[in-house]
Amino acid sequence: MDLSFIGTMFLRILGGLPLTLNLWGLSLLGGAILALGLNLLRTTRVGDKVASAYVFVFRGTPLLIQIFMIYFGLAGFGFIRHSVLWPFLREPYWCGLLALVLNDAAYTSEILRGGLRAVPRGAVEAGRVSGMSRFTILRRITLPLAIRQALPAYSSEVISMLKATALVSTITLMDMTGIARAAISETWRAVEILLSAAAIYLALSLIVTQLSVWIERRLSPWQFQRTNR
Amino acid sequence: MEDLALLGFGPDGWGKVLVQAGLMTLAVSVAAFVVGLALGTLIAWGRVSGGGMARALAHGYTAVMRGVPEILVIYLFYFGGRQVVTAVGTALGFPGPFDISGFMAGMLAIGLISGANQAEVLRGAWQAVPKGTIEAGRVVGMSRFTLFRRVIAPQALVTALPGLGNQWQSVIKESALVSVTGLVETMRQVSVAAGTTQEHFLFYAAGAAIYLAITTLSDQLFRLAERHSLRGHQQGGM
Amino acid sequence: MTDTSKTVLSIAGLRKSFGANEVLRGIDLAASDGDVISMIGASGSGKSTLLRCIPMLEIPDAGTVGVGEDRVSPRGGRLTRAEEATVRRMRCQLGFVFQNFNLWPHRTVLENVIEAPLFVQGRARSEAVDEAMALLDKVGLAAKRDAYPAHLSGGQQQRVAIARALAQHPRAILFDEPTSALDPELVGEVLKVIRSLAEEGRTMLIVTHEMGFAREVSSRVVFLHQGHIEEDGTPAEVFGAPKSERARAFLASHFDRNRQG
Repeated sequence: MDLSFIGTMFLRILGGLPLTLNLWGLSLLGGAILALGLNLLRTTRVGDKVASAYVFVFRGTPLLIQIFMIYFGLAGFGFIRHSVLWPFLREPYWCGLLALVLNDAAYTSEILRGGLRAVPRGAVEAGRVSGMSRFTILRRITLPLAIRQALPAYSSEVISMLKATALVSTITLMDMTGIARAAISETWRAVEILLSAAAIYLALSLIVTQLSVWIERRLSPWQFQRTNR
Repeated sequence: MEDLALLGFGPDGWGKVLVQAGLMTLAVSVAAFVVGLALGTLIAWGRVSGGGMARALAHGYTAVMRGVPEILVIYLFYFGGRQVVTAVGTALGFPGPFDISGFMAGMLAIGLISGANQAEVLRGAWQAVPKGTIEAGRVVGMSRFTLFRRVIAPQALVTALPGLGNQWQSVIKESALVSVTGLVETMRQVSVAAGTTQEHFLFYAAGAAIYLAITTLSDQLFRLAERHSLRGHQQGGM
Repeated sequence: MTDTSKTVLSIAGLRKSFGANEVLRGIDLAASDGDVISMIGASGSGKSTLLRCIPMLEIPDAGTVGVGEDRVSPRGGRLTRAEEATVRRMRCQLGFVFQNFNLWPHRTVLENVIEAPLFVQGRARSEAVDEAMALLDKVGLAAKRDAYPAHLSGGQQQRVAIARALAQHPRAILFDEPTSALDPELVGEVLKVIRSLAEEGRTMLIVTHEMGFAREVSSRVVFLHQGHIEEDGTPAEVFGAPKSERARAFLASHFDRNRQG
């Protein structure tokens, strides 16, 4: 293998890192907010049906088709072309981000739901008898416990979203994968280029894995530290 | 209404090719899942009862496949496979260039990714097999292989079924990525139809419906299988 | 007991059903300042439900519950917005100790005790910590201030739960079978703490199966049967000369069991 070629390609692909990080971070942020909303929606009967249908559709279909549907499909509707959102929905960046947010929300809402279900009833009752309001119980007891419970599954979801951002390269965006794809069609030296790109993604995912272990230890010290009785 | 005729089976309808594409999605998914199951079993074996070297290899493989985008792996098999096959072919004196089919590249790539995930499921299920039943097999003189085939695998498979069901769902969705190789499966076919007719939303919605149908139906099948496999295990249930 | 001016806690006409199962069939009960009332009865007699109705963990179908100057009479098994505010005020005047401790697993011992003073009553942190440490010292767990509940024995967890209840500055403390979830060798340490609270003159309502303990610490004993109060009197009256046949049978079987155990 040609090391200087790999080095050149590595640097070239790193040029797409800001876009990858941007889409990754924003889709996780938007997805988390929407996921919280979906779980709040589930407190009403109709809302529960709506949330279930949403999750069913977005988890049951490939992300790629969701991206294409938003990027190519929405333009077919006159009311969208004439709406204030059109300047955004015309751009591949916003379409890609929107698809990632919607997709992440479906998975994250299920992870959060699992976490919420695992909160012990007694911990909530103890909050109620001490006079806490619903909001205080949510903020001080339910959410902290649910988030701790959901953390391992969520760290997998964070890594899944990193990998998911690679799909925006199919709608002309020049993220790391988009740059790699372009470089392949110029040079036809696919193996070196793809391995360089893969190494960067792998490094990022390993950082997340380490980070999540660290956060888990910080948030749930009772699971790791042993004190003498 | 004429829009919907586009999805029908008439002369202008795309119905027939969409059904064929759906079948191709199923074919590539099944092939990839089987590759993944075989590889996953091997890796799980390595992680549970292998030596330090096998364990480290299995662990590293899982970490790599978990951290690299699926689409890169598919590209690697498709473009890289072509590059490798051509290099080998010309070295042997055959006139190139050579090609690797999208089906083959997709099946291998998704199978290898799924293998890493299925290994995790199988390992968990394996380790959940009650130790006593394994000891009972040992004391009647079973070999390691017989023990695996007659005692461990049947029990672990029951535990693993829900997890494997999830992996199958992932494989179906990942199979859409094989469209980048030009293989005419569902995703590719609806893109072509959408481009030809300029009815983008209609055809992507139809594509989404095909995936939903496949994922939902197979989910039901897995549930049935789960119930069936649990028949003898009532005392271990709720 | 007859001095109604010092009534801390009052229950009148309380009814509660779960589906077709009527668990409480009209309960009247009042506790004055300094009363220690033990509630005894077979499982399913409704004593735990009665206790849980006081802070509205279960919302009664009919009847009135009063704590201090506040009272609510919920109808139809749910609370209106105004009633919810009243219930919160009532809860702030009560301490509740659960059978399963229900400590918050993500907070240390000290954090469990100062949680409500800080986030419900809005008190200053340093003051809440000082008081919490005094309470932890009282239950013998000051040294465990930074431990998490998962690292404590059941008896220790229950003692922290008692300190948490005391941090409410409660006018009355409610105990829901405080020793039922404990290993036998840990029961004593918890009973010792409750006994010391009785000696301080705290107002307490205790649902318990520990007959000997009830007899020893209570000023009053209430025997529940199928959602009714069947006996209500001093320990000497209820344990010594129960009026109803059912109370006699219940006590006989319990003292037999205790003797065998």
